Amino acid sequence: MSLAQQFRTGDTPLPDIIILTHKLARAYDMGGEVVRALRGVSLQIRRNEYVAIMGPSGSGKSTLMNLIGCLDTPTGGEYWLNGQKVSDLGDDALARIRNKEIGFVFQTFNLLPRATALHNVELPLIYAGLGAKERRAQAAQALERVGLGDRMEHRPNELSGGQRQRVAIARALVNDPSILLADEPTGNLDSATSGEIMEVFGALHRQGQTVVMVTHEHDIAAHAARVVTLRDGLVATDQRQAA
Amino acid sequence: MTQLFEGIGIALGSLRGNKARAALTILGIAIGVMVVMIIASMISGINRSVQHTFESIAPRTFLVWRWFQAGVNISDGSEETSPWRRNPAISGEEADRIALLPSVRYVTRRDESSARVEFGDLALESVNISGLSSQWVEVNGGDVYPGRTFTRLEDLANSRVVVINKKLEAQLFRGRDPIGHTIKIAGVPFEVIGVYTPAPSLFSGASPPFAGIPHGAFEKYVPFWKGWMKLAIAPVEDVPQQQAIDEVTALLRSMRSLKPAQENTFSIITQDKLLDTWQQVTGVFFLVMIALSSIGLMVGGVGVVAIMMISVTERTREIGVRKALGATKREILWQFLVEAATLTLVGGAIGMLVGGTVAWVLSKATPIPAYVPIWSIVVALAASVLTGIGFGLYPANRAARLDPVEALRYE
Repeated sequence: MSLAQQFRTGDTPLPDIIILTHKLARAYDMGGEVVRALRGVSLQIRRNEYVAIMGPSGSGKSTLMNLIGCLDTPTGGEYWLNGQKVSDLGDDALARIRNKEIGFVFQTFNLLPRATALHNVELPLIYAGLGAKERRAQAAQALERVGLGDRMEHRPNELSGGQRQRVAIARALVNDPSILLADEPTGNLDSATSGEIMEVFGALHRQGQTVVMVTHEHDIAAHAARVVTLRDGLVATDQRQAA
Repeated sequence: MTQLFEGIGIALGSLRGNKARAALTILGIAIGVMVVMIIASMISGINRSVQHTFESIAPRTFLVWRWFQAGVNISDGSEETSPWRRNPAISGEEADRIALLPSVRYVTRRDESSARVEFGDLALESVNISGLSSQWVEVNGGDVYPGRTFTRLEDLANSRVVVINKKLEAQLFRGRDPIGHTIKIAGVPFEVIGVYTPAPSLFSGASPPFAGIPHGAFEKYVPFWKGWMKLAIAPVEDVPQQQAIDEVTALLRSMRSLKPAQENTFSIITQDKLLDTWQQVTGVFFLVMIALSSIGLMVGGVGVVAIMMISVTERTREIGVRKALGATKREILWQFLVEAATLTLVGGAIGMLVGGTVAWVLSKATPIPAYVPIWSIVVALAASVLTGIGFGLYPANRAARLDPVEALRYE
């Protein structure tokens, strides 16, 4: 924690800090009863860090990941992503941020079932407004990066679980995002395939990619260089570990 | 643009994926468009040949009838619903006096009936018989060949000569030359002097057997419903049609002793008026057609709402993923609108193909000269796309408003 910036409201994060949350809070109104899922999380993640976020269910880790992924907006505190304050942006601006800054990898892969691997990887580029030729080239390159250069025209149901997750990773990387945000990326995979996927993450991290991963499995979290644990909507522990 | 193509691709993909459901959805649209196409092609076809018919008649000729009314008239026999009873029949004396007017070149009379026609052992019942003045071919258009029509002299002499049409020729003579033979009309012998071919026109291919004889002979020998003689009047070459109409009107009014405030007790019909009337009638048809097809499109539209709602619900997760990958509300809205419009466009195209085929078959197999105008294709396709967009708006908006977090969590 010695590397962290002393941040106060009104400050701007140092350029090296890619994710900064300051007293980030999220409360839900559940039929009159207010549930405080996050109660003031202050977290700083630097460029090229590999961070696992852990915690029991109900600890707020999904809420935190939705906020970091700009899928949701906080009810209190600040969130800075890549030098931009995103906690008070509107829907359309958040959509642009998701498109440019964040690469999602989901537990259930979330590929479009009727589209080919290539087309699935092209999707973020479509929303980025790229032309068809450029899109195809970049998507093909991303698929080759995850070792699926020979599976481009396959549909998800023609691919194994591990291959599907690789397509999802290619899709997450194709826009060259600031952070790769993975939500239980091995939750639907057997242990051998999980190992392969974790190797892909490790390789990406070594190439300079910032990776944030939400998981509840300790042996998956063990691959990360830093583990943040949440409990009751607050950061409980924040430890660096040997990779 | 990219998203338009992508949207169309997705729409076609989901059409392929849910063939039965999509087919049911677009059925309403297809039927609506099909009905429009068939009726539009029939009306356009008939319109074209009506116009053609009017053009084939000497354009300056006008008609004097006892009664003429646009549209359909329903009478229950009472005075109020039978206004023609107030008008006296056009008399022969009136016709003769009109013929003497300086602006009038000639007047042709016409009375119609039907009678039994015999030739040798052959007999045909209910053949249309017309009593006509000698210039009737010039008024009606068409041609007499082989042979000739009757002369003015034969007309005045009530000669028993007859001009028959191709259909009657075929049925009575079966390929033999009819000229010079004698046929019996209502039991009275007439000599066949010519074969009449009408100007190519509406239903000309299906014109029933017809025989034309001099008007005097008609009155003398053929039983008919008296009081409905019609006159066709051709003005003199250099006289404007309106001048002739004014003279005829003034003459008839004075002969009938009408006071200035009284309305005419006869009808004068010009071709412009006939065309107007025709267009009024077809206008009503068009309105009915538009109403019918709107109902078809509405029903189809409700189907579109239903299938799109199902589609949005089924693909909640996909919507979540797209939003996570950077799709804005507008892009999601657009995607589903394009999908709905593609659905209805396919329905419209199918309806158009079926309707066009039916119209083509109609024009080949029946005398109805169906013809598909280009504008009706454009209108049909535009209407189906608009239906898709209009009815797709609600489901598309629902998709666009989905919360990405909840959409991604949806099972």
